[in-house]
Amino acid sequence: MTVGQPVERVDGRAKVTGAARYAADRTLPGMLYCHLVMGTIARGRVTAVDTTAARAVPGVVEVFTHENAPRLTSEQHFMPLQGNQIHYNGQIVAITVATTLEQAQEAAELVRVTYAPETPKAVIADALAEVYLPANQEVIVGDPAAGLAAAEVTVKQNYSSPPHHHNPIEPHATVAQWDGDRLTVHETTQGVVNAQRTFATAFAIPQTNVRVLAPYLGGGFGCKSPVWPHSLLNAAIARQLGRPAKMVLARSQMYSIVSHRAEFWQQLTLGAKRDGTLTALVHVSTQQLSRTSENMYSHSISSRMLYACPNIHTRQQGVRLDVPTSRFMRSPQMASHFGLETALDELSYELGVDPVELRRRNYTDVNPTTGERFSSRFLLECYNLGADAFGWSRRNPKPGSTKDGHEFVGWGMATEAHDHSASPSSAMVRMAADGTVLSQTATQDIGTGTYTVFTQVVAEALGVPLNQVKVELADTNFPAAALSAGSGTIASVTGAVNAAASAVRTAVVQLAVSNPASPLHGLPAEQIITQHGYLFSPDRSRRESYRAVMARHGSPVQNTSTMTNARGYSTGAVFVEVRVDPRYGRVRVTRGVGAYDAGRVMNRKTARSQMIGGFTWGIGNALMEHTVLDRRTARVVNPNLSTYLLAVNADVPDIQAIFVDKPDPVSTALGARGFGETPITGVPAAIGNAIFHATGRRIRDLPFTQDKLLRELLTQ
Amino acid sequence: MRNFTYAAPRNVAEAVRLAGQPGARFIAGGTDLLNLMRDGAQSHGAIIDINGLALGDIVQRNGVIRIGALARMSDVAAHPAVRRSLPVVSEALLNSASPQVRNMAAVGGNVLQRTRCGYFRDSGTTCNKKTPGTGCPALEGENRGHAILGGSDHCLAVHPSDLAVALLAVDAVVLTDRRRFPFADLHVVPGTTPDQETVLGHGELITGFEIPVTPLAARSRYLKLRDRATFEFAVVSVAAALAMRGNTVRDVRLTFGGVATKPWRSPEAEDALRGKPLTTTTITEAGRALVRGAVTRDHNAFKVDLVQRALDGLLRDLGGAR
Ligand SMILES: Cc1cc2nc3c(=O)[nH]c(=O)nc-3n(C[C@H](O)[C@H](O)[C@H](O)COP(=O)(O)OP(=O)(O)OC[C@H]3O[C@@H](n4cnc5c(N)ncnc54)[C@H](O)[C@@H]3O)c2cc1C
Ligand code: SF4
Repeated sequence: MTVGQPVERVDGRAKVTGAARYAADRTLPGMLYCHLVMGTIARGRVTAVDTTAARAVPGVVEVFTHENAPRLTSEQHFMPLQGNQIHYNGQIVAITVATTLEQAQEAAELVRVTYAPETPKAVIADALAEVYLPANQEVIVGDPAAGLAAAEVTVKQNYSSPPHHHNPIEPHATVAQWDGDRLTVHETTQGVVNAQRTFATAFAIPQTNVRVLAPYLGGGFGCKSPVWPHSLLNAAIARQLGRPAKMVLARSQMYSIVSHRAEFWQQLTLGAKRDGTLTALVHVSTQQLSRTSENMYSHSISSRMLYACPNIHTRQQGVRLDVPTSRFMRSPQMASHFGLETALDELSYELGVDPVELRRRNYTDVNPTTGERFSSRFLLECYNLGADAFGWSRRNPKPGSTKDGHEFVGWGMATEAHDHSASPSSAMVRMAADGTVLSQTATQDIGTGTYTVFTQVVAEALGVPLNQVKVELADTNFPAAALSAGSGTIASVTGAVNAAASAVRTAVVQLAVSNPASPLHGLPAEQIITQHGYLFSPDRSRRESYRAVMARHGSPVQNTSTMTNARGYSTGAVFVEVRVDPRYGRVRVTRGVGAYDAGRVMNRKTARSQMIGGFTWGIGNALMEHTVLDRRTARVVNPNLSTYLLAVNADVPDIQAIFVDKPDPVSTALGARGFGETPITGVPAAIGNAIFHATGRRIRDLPFTQDKLLRELLTQ
Repeated sequence: MRNFTYAAPRNVAEAVRLAGQPGARFIAGGTDLLNLMRDGAQSHGAIIDINGLALGDIVQRNGVIRIGALARMSDVAAHPAVRRSLPVVSEALLNSASPQVRNMAAVGGNVLQRTRCGYFRDSGTTCNKKTPGTGCPALEGENRGHAILGGSDHCLAVHPSDLAVALLAVDAVVLTDRRRFPFADLHVVPGTTPDQETVLGHGELITGFEIPVTPLAARSRYLKLRDRATFEFAVVSVAAALAMRGNTVRDVRLTFGGVATKPWRSPEAEDALRGKPLTTTTITEAGRALVRGAVTRDHNAFKVDLVQRALDGLLRDLGGAR
């Protein structure tokens, strides 16, 4: 058995030695370098662009502005450089193209843009009168008003969270090369197939004319799921100038053209009986939308799916501001989840019911919105496992009851939950005549461990050692497979990989038992055991290696399979300890335990890494992370990793990850469900709840920085 | 980034001569200069690489510790004489940046690093420090990180160096190619010329710092508060050196970071303690004296309270106040 084992990353060595080649590492003969010039107003028009000085820089081949840029359309996104309108700050206003990167950068600094600016609106607070309800953003189950009327206790509170930027460590990069009307793109994308479609549509060429590759990705978190306009422009420039072209974004450019998590305001109203059972859940949220799109990416799914409540109302409002369009960001459900899990904590104190017990009392086996039964759900086990490992039963429920030196100690918890996507996917497995195995599928490893898990799946299905298997990903020449988004990679693609490998096994076994030269000749194929690279008779008295069977056969055995899977819902419970130094309003997270039901765990190490990554990001989200927008200009003030703060090692305590590890019976992914986004959803609320337990003070506006905490502590 | 020329002189005289060209900049570790060049926050022409100069030594002689301008932050922090006689310097350095940055960056460059004000570092925004006379968007903008002391209507940017706060607390002296003067005189408040941050002339090279070894400096500490545990500039910081005689404060230095436009010493706060017992009352009085002239803006008023709390906490740790 290798599936489930904590197998080391098979791509680890290539990554730490630099052998792994990322999109930005591609350099092609004759390649041109493109560099972006970003606008400095959020609303208005470009009135003039002076490119004289830029064009005079040696090596500069062309400077594109809205007046001469290639004409392109995008179904998905607002396409810059097609007109003089400005819709957000940091919009692309020109592109310099040169034979070296340095020349392109220097030229970019010399482009002079003149604007006719208008006053923008940047934050929800400045446009409250413009809040509206876009179509299909309201769900009502039962009779929420009656549910509230029947409540014995009600909690009604407002919560808010700032915009966030994804900040994968690898910046976006794109390298485009044309050969006639065939296009090859090395693209930092979470979905090569999706990217292929987007490029083909933009250039009105058949999808098969486009090849997209992304063998390695340094994280995506949602901001690499679509193909952004800059990549289309880069490819258009390559075509127009007849040379390969490369564009790599600077970190600061990633704060305006590759999306973000929207600023989010929410109001939760919970009605409950004295025993804690919910009678009504009303969740009204408001998120910023852009001038060019009313798509929403932060959804109140937890409020609709997580707890037994007969009367639910979710209303997802928006307000259009002069900001870029937001996008899914790991996890798109966490903003609304923060409100729900904090409100439940507030309710637990109102009722005097332990926070874990309150959640248990509202546990459900069926989706409260649809009435459908969850295929499997071990959330109650998660509460038990997590609480036991954490020592929750020793918690004194009284806020402010534990002090250690200068510090107040607090314990808090939250449920974690995220539904995962699933899309039909195909995979190829081929055993070569020398017995080695290659698997190819056009899904991606965005840093999460796909290479490793698929290596395990193929090795186990065939019964060969891991080092006999090679997995190749993220090339549209491979069988089409899922986007790596919505926690869906493993859930979507594992089934196809397993089916293809199993078909190859069946075929090779057949080759053996049907050939008189094999020691296994004449045995029933279904009784053959495959293990360690060998085929065995049922009593193991006779055996033959795959290698030997294949050598005799003399040609490869190959299968391509397609599989679909159902969407699923992975849940868990997270417990945290914080220490709050009231002298300085300083919070440290000192312990974290999470217990999860993610279906079958494919690799305990990569699953644990997802949990640690989610928890760590959750700490940052709770205590420091936020994009600061200047309200007057709608411009990001901290577009760099020295002032956009994420948790660093010293902020992260020992974290324990526990898995129920029971297969989901309906999952075709060998019982696995998607998991990546689950273990971040509850962390900010759990930390806020722990701060309340430590101090008796509740902060409802993320992040919980020193200034906010001090203000609360001072108003004792 | 704009194109530039590069020279690597072998001695101080040559370095200073080359640096006389307009737009010339010294580069030491480059950890700030390169960012400023990339961000277009500062013009540059000739880059004069001073790493070949013999200015990296740390020596103690005749009651003075001399730190060469090219000594790396990590080496200074770990040096036994510094740790023993100037703990505040070592602590301030260890609380700065990251190990990687500290291995690259030199102490001369550190005290001349420029502000982290987001507007200053954004080539798409006006700023008086970057381009005099264009206005200061921080005054009415995002100024949570900005100064409450030493600001003007032209600039509120905080000086970001931790080391500078520590050097100020231990009476350091600046050595340059042409003169020596108290560290306290190195930095200037913005006034109407926020582009002018120090008294150094164009092309003047800092060669090192001299710090007298005193009992006061030996009893010194640094407290830095910030929004994450490490790898961040100070929200507020305090350097304190304290000499007691029995219960009485014989001498004291109190300097502050994160709250002021230059490394900030508060003689008023020191006076509130000198010759007095260290009690809750006197510490509170010192804190009040420190912030008496504070000017707050929309988002930075919390620093008035926080810096007093930091001072209180540090003095109690250092002096065992009762
Ligand atoms: C991510 C990050 C985090 C940081 N965090 C902190 C922190 O928490 N606390 C902190 O204090 N600092 C912090 N820093 C700043 C860092 O300490 C400085 O960048 C560094 O000390 C500068 O030294 P350097 O040798 O790299 O200087 P350089 O970048 O080479 O030079 C800086 C400036 O000094 C001038 N210069 C250098 N040497 C001399 C000399 N001998 N004479 C005259 N002029 C000279 C240069 O011309 C330039 O203008 C951080 C930096 C980074 C990148
Ligand atoms: S505070 Fe100073 S550095 Fe910041 S924008 Fe204003 S003038 Fe520029």
